[in-house]
Amino acid sequence: MVHISDGILSLPVLAAGWAITFALLAVAIWWSNKKGNLEEEIPKLSVMTAAFFVASLVHIPVGPTSAHFILNGLVGVILGIFAFPAIFIGVVLQTVLFQHGGITTIGVNTANIGIPALIAYCIFKWGNKVGMTVMRKELSVWIFGALAGGVAVFLAVIFTAFSLVLSNEEAFFAIAIAFTVAHIPIIIIEAIITGSIAVFLLKVKPEIIGG
Amino acid sequence: MNCKKMVGIFAIFVVLSCLCTSVASAHRLHIESTLSELEIEAYFGSGAPVQDGDVKVYDKSGNLYIEGTTDEEGKFRFPPKIGMDEYEVVVNATHMPGHKGETTINLSQVSADGAGTELPLYSNIIAGFGYLIGIAGFAMAYVYWKRNKK
Repeated sequence: MVHISDGILSLPVLAAGWAITFALLAVAIWWSNKKGNLEEEIPKLSVMTAAFFVASLVHIPVGPTSAHFILNGLVGVILGIFAFPAIFIGVVLQTVLFQHGGITTIGVNTANIGIPALIAYCIFKWGNKVGMTVMRKELSVWIFGALAGGVAVFLAVIFTAFSLVLSNEEAFFAIAIAFTVAHIPIIIIEAIITGSIAVFLLKVKPEIIGG
Repeated sequence: MNCKKMVGIFAIFVVLSCLCTSVASAHRLHIESTLSELEIEAYFGSGAPVQDGDVKVYDKSGNLYIEGTTDEEGKFRFPPKIGMDEYEVVVNATHMPGHKGETTINLSQVSADGAGTELPLYSNIIAGFGYLIGIAGFAMAYVYWKRNKK
């Protein structure tokens, strides 16, 4: 549902989407060159991209529509800045193989899903910095993991509504509310999934969280 | 047995058979052809029907021919125009803004099942994983090549 099809958005919105996507991809590549530990990231990146790629096939019917999983919060929490290239590859494959969204809208769709993933990572990281000082480590990781997972989906929905409104001058709040309501089950489930996986990884392999 | 009687019976037969043929011709079978409607069905990748979708049908030169909405099964029916065998159908999902599909219907080459030759979903999933493994492989190769160069 957050994948916008071809022929709906106006040209400036499409161009802006591609520009933002390429800029953030460049930042991610620059970051990886600077840190120079890309080879440790690649297996993690591939697994998360694969999870993101197939998550969109799981649909939950909501009234007359249905919403599918996005998992951008989980990808963000685990990959950090590399969430963006992972989501870009995932969106390209979803577009080509599943016809989710359109070729021209890959830029906009990647930005709509990827930027919330980066925000989720910030929430998780900064939240835990504060949270771990005031409560148990596991509890803090669960709370901020869940928050990151939920917020990422919510923001992806809001960004999608916003890009539609920019092109069509429709009522933003009507679309945003309709979209959000359809995604409430997804937001709740992804919050629980992200929180639980973050706690699990904290126990078995703490260094893996947040690329 | 007189000749007159024979002729009489024969005459009755002739009359009867004439009657029979005229009755039979009253049962002549007529065939008229009307092509009353063309049905389209819109559904999402999950198989869920596109309910209340906004349908627009254009002719070959792009003029709007007919418009309407899909029912709860995602179906929409419209009468085709005689002499026009190509239609461009655009469906916009009103419940999911941003979702749109379009297809060209060519009546002179309609396939029996309607659906194209699309690969099944599982093969697309496997293909996706294949691409990912390939991309990961390339990235690994690049990283090690770069490291060895140093």
